[in-house]
Amino acid sequence: MEKFAPVKRSEDGQPVRYLIVDDSVFARKNLARMVETFGGQVIGEAGDGVSAISEYARLMPDIVLMDITMPQMEGIEAAEKIVRDHPNARIVMVSSVGYQENIVAALQRGARHFVQKPVKPEVLYEVIKYVMRDDGTTARGAGAGV
Amino acid sequence: MTELRQLFFESAGELVQKLNDEAMQLEKSPGDAETTRSLRRTVHTLKGDAAACGFRELSELSHEFEDVLTLGNTAAAASVPEIALRAADVFGALLEAYRKGTKLPSIQSLRADIARLAHPAPGGALKTKKKKAAAKTSRWSEYEQLAITRAVADSKRIHHVVVQIDPQCGMPIAARQMVQLALAELGEVLALYPVEGSLDPGDRIEAALASEKPAEQIRAKCSIPTIALNVRVAPLRAPTLSSPLASAADSESMHETAMPVAANIGAGVTADDAPSTGEPSATPAVASGPDNLLRVDAEKIDSVLNLVGELILAKSMLQQALLEFGQRFPKDVLRGKFSDAMAFQGRVLNDLQHSVMKIRMVPVDQLFRRFPRMVRDVGRQCGKEVELMVRGGQTDLDKSILDAIAEPLTHLVRNAIGHGIETTEERVRAGKRPQGTLRLGAYHQGNQVVIEVSDDGAGIDAEKVRQRALSQGLLKAEQAARLNDAETLDLILQPGFSTAEEITELSGRGVGLDVVQSVLGRLKGTVQIETALGRGTTFRLRLPLTLAIIRALMFRVEQRLYALPLNAVAEIARTVEGNIHQVEHYDVLQLRNDVLPLLRLGAKPASEPETSRRKVFVLVINSGERKFGLVVDELEGEGELVIKALDDQSITTDLVSGASILGDGRVVLILNMIALMDRFTRGRAGVTGPRMAGLLSSVVPVGSSADGIEMRARGTAGGQA
Repeated sequence: MEKFAPVKRSEDGQPVRYLIVDDSVFARKNLARMVETFGGQVIGEAGDGVSAISEYARLMPDIVLMDITMPQMEGIEAAEKIVRDHPNARIVMVSSVGYQENIVAALQRGARHFVQKPVKPEVLYEVIKYVMRDDGTTARGAGAGV
Repeated sequence: MTELRQLFFESAGELVQKLNDEAMQLEKSPGDAETTRSLRRTVHTLKGDAAACGFRELSELSHEFEDVLTLGNTAAAASVPEIALRAADVFGALLEAYRKGTKLPSIQSLRADIARLAHPAPGGALKTKKKKAAAKTSRWSEYEQLAITRAVADSKRIHHVVVQIDPQCGMPIAARQMVQLALAELGEVLALYPVEGSLDPGDRIEAALASEKPAEQIRAKCSIPTIALNVRVAPLRAPTLSSPLASAADSESMHETAMPVAANIGAGVTADDAPSTGEPSATPAVASGPDNLLRVDAEKIDSVLNLVGELILAKSMLQQALLEFGQRFPKDVLRGKFSDAMAFQGRVLNDLQHSVMKIRMVPVDQLFRRFPRMVRDVGRQCGKEVELMVRGGQTDLDKSILDAIAEPLTHLVRNAIGHGIETTEERVRAGKRPQGTLRLGAYHQGNQVVIEVSDDGAGIDAEKVRQRALSQGLLKAEQAARLNDAETLDLILQPGFSTAEEITELSGRGVGLDVVQSVLGRLKGTVQIETALGRGTTFRLRLPLTLAIIRALMFRVEQRLYALPLNAVAEIARTVEGNIHQVEHYDVLQLRNDVLPLLRLGAKPASEPETSRRKVFVLVINSGERKFGLVVDELEGEGELVIKALDDQSITTDLVSGASILGDGRVVLILNMIALMDRFTRGRAGVTGPRMAGLLSSVVPVGSSADGIEMRARGTAGGQA
């Protein structure tokens, strides 16, 4: 696996803290290994949208990697609810190409970026870097544009 | 898809009508915020629907209009109603063109109007700028160009941003969303291309962005990793002004030649008429009602109605069979059971018939709604002030009848404004209110619907009509002398008649009120004219509720069976030939205190002693002001007849409007009231012609048997619904 320069939080230089949301344990582990190579720290995992919301509130992670299709509550809805309660939440949607429409919807509801499954580490790395950029932390109204 | 299209045209027609209504409302109370909002919503809905159906011109044009309305430019508010009306016309014409697949009408003049509404002051400059902006990125829609133009006019800084999507990105549409969101954070996105779908990895996204941020910041913001391969930001400046004329010519070449505004209005009036007569089953109840409504093809309902007609026929066959059964086995208990079952079946059938008929019923308002606009336009063209009052709009009428009377009603309304209502000066001189009143009304009366068009104008002078008819050669002097006033008035419904001193563009266009007469004749309705000099005129149209089934009185003349709509018969008198006298050239009967002129369907019997004792029946036909008697040999009874249209080959006279088959298989010919009365009037007036004898000897063609007609009648079953 490639070596990535660690991505740190700009405000205090601490490792970026992740919440990984996916109903597949394998996918969660895969993503966790990846973000760790970016110098990140996985502080929580969730298998569905409902627990994603409560885990976010409990852990206040820097980044959420959110799957689209999950039981109980889909990723879009969970993302929307999280952003509504925490406008500064950085959510990156993770999904396969077939769910492009859902990605668009999630972006309109406040998700910051997306990566395509299967996730390529170099892509995810660029995305994480972009999302963690300073100007990216300014709150963005959900549903802007269109 | 076709269903969706159909749905679109129906609702779009409604929206255009609504636009008309709201524009007129706004004209009455200029600048009214609520009306303006409602008008804007209408335009908005139209825009959305048109865009969804891919009708670009309509969606763009309404988009522009909606935008202008949103701007709320108070200085230009006064011209909004006028432009909204013009927009309604152009939208209507566009819809018509889309629907028929014909060449689109010019939209340039409306577009210019709308643009002027947005920027009343500088005028031509706008168009030029827009064109330049378009030249730079020609793929942007008219709306986007307009947005750019407006921003330029507001001296905003506009950036042209081109983002090339990373070919590695598998989700270019999501990528576009990201770019769009990034742009939205930087400023106002005036335009974005491509807008919908059809985006491939590696494609370029172009945007016009109004932002005060430096270009470098914009570039950085849009350089989204994994999405944007490269980003170009260039200023989009207001172009130097080129000659407005050149740009106008330029824009014309894209469409057809622009019509002058005045011509547009004129065309609008007629275009206004066309769609609703053409739209088969748009009913407001269906269009605007709750969700559990169905849109059904009118033909399907017709076929159900036809089947009901056949059932009624079957019922009378059963009744006939029961009658014969009863005669053969008068004491059989089965007879009572049969007749109970039949009575029950009859009731259900009756309900069924009415239910089906109700489906076809639509409120007259559907037709009335277009008149406010027409009255306004025609009034203006005539330079008359006319107020329209509508009542009874909720009266239901068969859809096919409603469609059919649209044209005659239009003629009557035009006529009332053009000829009936006087000019303002004339009215003031006559001591009337300067504003004329036109009343449209509808109500049910028995089995009929009555529609009235009345004005408070000068009224019709029967003497003038008589003179006019004489001078136009419609009438001979001796004939004229015989006609009473009511009969004289009916002359204005004759082809080629016109009372106006000058033929106006509006009413005197060659087709006169005769269209009223002919349509009403076809619908088995009647027209009645009521007029009072100096006080006004009322045209009263009486129409059957439905065309398919009539209640009729059946009778015999010379062994042949005929029928008349029951409601045409006022009374039945019994008499003998001896009581029928001859006055001048026609037969009359002394009925109580009246002398009733008579019309014979059959040949007049030879004057032999025994004929004077022969019993006959006289059906008193009362239609409006006219009353006459129809001499028949025997009455057959009354019943519900399912009308079968007859083709032209089987019947050569207009006196018969249709045929029906009775339960026992006999054919009955249904007489045409209008033609009958017409014949009566002409017959009375005629000196040289034969007496009203043997009118109907020509009805059944020589060598044709009743069977032959029956075959044809069956063959055309359901031809008239």
